[in-house]
Amino acid sequence: MVLELQKPRPIWQIMFSTHHTDIGLLYLISSLAFLFLGGSLALAIRIELFLPNIEGTGQIIADSMTFNRIFTVHGTTLIFLFIIPFASAVGNYFVPIMVRYKDMAYPKLNAIAFWMIPPAAVLVWLGFADFTWYAQPPYSIISAPGPAADMWIFGLKILGVSSVLGAINFVITILKCKHPDMSIGQVPLLAWSFLATSVIIIVAIPTFAAALLMLLTDRLGVSGFFNPAMGGDPIAYSHLFWFTFHPEVYVLVLPAIGMMYEIIPRFSRKPIYSYNSGVFAFVMLSLVAFSSWGHHMFATGMSFTEKTVFMVGTLAAVPASAMHVFNFIATMWNGRIKFATPMMWAVGGIALFFAAGAGGVVNTAMPLDFSTHDSYWVVGHFHLFVMGTIAFGSIGMVYYMFPYVTGRMYNETAGKVHFFMSFVGTILVFFTQHVLGLYGMPRRVFDYPPIPEWIAMNQIASVGAMIIGVSMAIFLVNMIYSSGKGQLANTEDPFGLGGKYYYPFEAKNPHH
Amino acid sequence: MSIETKHPASESKQQVYRTTSERTVKMMVIMLGICIVGGMIFFSMWDYWISTPAPVVAMMAGEADHAAPAAATGKTITQDLTFIESSDFRTLAFNALPGEDDNNPTVHMNVGDTVVFNVDNGGISFHAFGVTQGTEGITGIIPGSEIGTMSNALKPGEGGSSEFVAGEEGTYYYICTVPGHREQGMVGEIIIGPAQGGSSGIASPPTGVSHEFTLNFVESDDFRTLAFNALPDEDGHNPEIRVNSGDEVTITANNMGKIFHAFGVVSNPEDFNSVIWDSAIGSMSNTLKPGEGDSTTFTAGASGTYYYICTVPGHALQGMQGSFIVE
Repeated sequence: MVLELQKPRPIWQIMFSTHHTDIGLLYLISSLAFLFLGGSLALAIRIELFLPNIEGTGQIIADSMTFNRIFTVHGTTLIFLFIIPFASAVGNYFVPIMVRYKDMAYPKLNAIAFWMIPPAAVLVWLGFADFTWYAQPPYSIISAPGPAADMWIFGLKILGVSSVLGAINFVITILKCKHPDMSIGQVPLLAWSFLATSVIIIVAIPTFAAALLMLLTDRLGVSGFFNPAMGGDPIAYSHLFWFTFHPEVYVLVLPAIGMMYEIIPRFSRKPIYSYNSGVFAFVMLSLVAFSSWGHHMFATGMSFTEKTVFMVGTLAAVPASAMHVFNFIATMWNGRIKFATPMMWAVGGIALFFAAGAGGVVNTAMPLDFSTHDSYWVVGHFHLFVMGTIAFGSIGMVYYMFPYVTGRMYNETAGKVHFFMSFVGTILVFFTQHVLGLYGMPRRVFDYPPIPEWIAMNQIASVGAMIIGVSMAIFLVNMIYSSGKGQLANTEDPFGLGGKYYYPFEAKNPHH
Repeated sequence: MSIETKHPASESKQQVYRTTSERTVKMMVIMLGICIVGGMIFFSMWDYWISTPAPVVAMMAGEADHAAPAAATGKTITQDLTFIESSDFRTLAFNALPGEDDNNPTVHMNVGDTVVFNVDNGGISFHAFGVTQGTEGITGIIPGSEIGTMSNALKPGEGGSSEFVAGEEGTYYYICTVPGHREQGMVGEIIIGPAQGGSSGIASPPTGVSHEFTLNFVESDDFRTLAFNALPDEDGHNPEIRVNSGDEVTITANNMGKIFHAFGVVSNPEDFNSVIWDSAIGSMSNTLKPGEGDSTTFTAGASGTYYYICTVPGHALQGMQGSFIVE
């Protein structure tokens, strides 16, 4: 398998290409660039919180406005400009090959979907809005200064359209363009994860697109949907927002699980334990994704009945998630596992997926929700998901794809050091943040009172963040150096797993 | 540039493309270039991107479309009002039910007069008070005239007071701002007649004396507390200004903070629309940006107690207001 071009071409030819591997490469490079940019903002946040501000000392960022802007762009970048485009990168590379089609169903649409990202990123990054990635009214309507806020709204709108176009392309490619000899029950699980994800995107994103438009007209003063001074209701925004963004959680995590389904059987040298349970769990998660948005809003004064419905709806995701985890473990069981770097990232991701999922059960349990609501517990929980599970799966996939894309091998030692440092760092930062939340520290704060326990835990978290930062620097150097000077890889079997094993995309296909 | 490699174990017949150092360097140069150019634009305009409030802010502030008085006359009318309800709650009114004496009393005043409403909730449901120019509905409540709001209404037995300064001739209405109550009868008229003794009220003729004051906008680190010249508990905090009627006053306002401010002398510190005597420096939609300053010169009008405030909505309430006393 060769994922990159067949022969060297000028870079502009790659940029204006509509071939799926070229667009996958563009997605890959831009999403990794935003991983580093968004990650450096995270370090700025952790440095600021290393010490509380006592009489002018311990304050690194000039003022809370600047902090909030950094904070907002950190979240927006890593969710919309790293995780989602990265999933699109992997999908673009693998889905057409896995369904044995020559390209994506609509190559030009595919290129358009990618090229909507740079202008949106420019809007978000130039503006640096200050209302968090949540943009909760009335603050986002009345107090957030423009044009940054309006630029953010437009940027997110463009990104939403881009996701929907990409999702339509994946659905059509998988359902209509798969090889006629291939039944839907033979499509590899990675492609299944993209099918489930794309369906969620198509159903969920329009709600947020509408909410963004309403936010914009509210800011212009021509409507008052969310403006209490004009009779609007900010809670309505929360509903619209979470109706999109709880399902969006699954949009982020399903491709990462799909990537683990690609990595784990290869490195366990065993076929997947249960293909059907994997498919079932993907379909199940894409359905229950829509039954749980209210658990983000238990504290807004819902009735007991509503809260119970959303609690049960959220817990319905547990069996499906557990099916994936059991599937991974059963696949590895008795396998001749080779702990190359991609496998370590995948296994680490599964371990943290389990931990993050356990925290999620606490969040949705009504009585516990109230004691953790709006505290650092929540920050720890969802970061453990996005970093511990999604980013781990994604970075594992970067290492997995690296020899196929560049024809060269990354430095295995550096990759392992990267994994161990990130794993330790992730646990230090995000497990500690759970405890910090239980000690009562509110989230989204610029400063905190000098309570000894809070200071200690914030410092542990900041040290953990620095460890992750150093490991990511190693990653960056490894990627850049190895793509130019790395050892030549054997593209038939770059990881030395031996034997001829089943690659669904190695089926006879004149185009690959 | 090695394009093809024969790996011993490779059965591939495809030509394998491998990235080269030159291409990696080229890619890094492109990306660094984007970051440097973007970063230069970004940091050079860091403050510009947060320089404009949302249009809705100005619209909400301007919603109460009423002019400020050219000058306050210093005359104050006091009006006591009580929310009352009929026993079946179908009819609501102020002071007395329809058909009885003192039902929804009409307030007569002239431009520049101040009316003080002392309002009590004498009923058993929730009410709230406000003055509006609108002939129906509960929108356009004039800032400073409201007592309680829809979401934080006066409970039975509670009360409060507020002020309204007549800015222009015409008819205003005092109403209950709880939705539906106005339609059920809780509305009274405020009829404003022309200014007595011209638009300058009872201001003295120009005295020829002139004063100069400098006021600096300052903010606490957390932006919760705003003030002029110095924060609370420091020397020179919101200095009181005393001048005589007819004096020429020059005020220089400097924005020493990090957010936007604007200056004006008002008759009602809660009503940032009621800037009088052409004393405004900047406005809500065209504020003084950080580091900017400007000055204004005007003649002090009729004697009375006025206030100098920051006319950006909310800032006066956060502490940016001081007394401006005309003797």
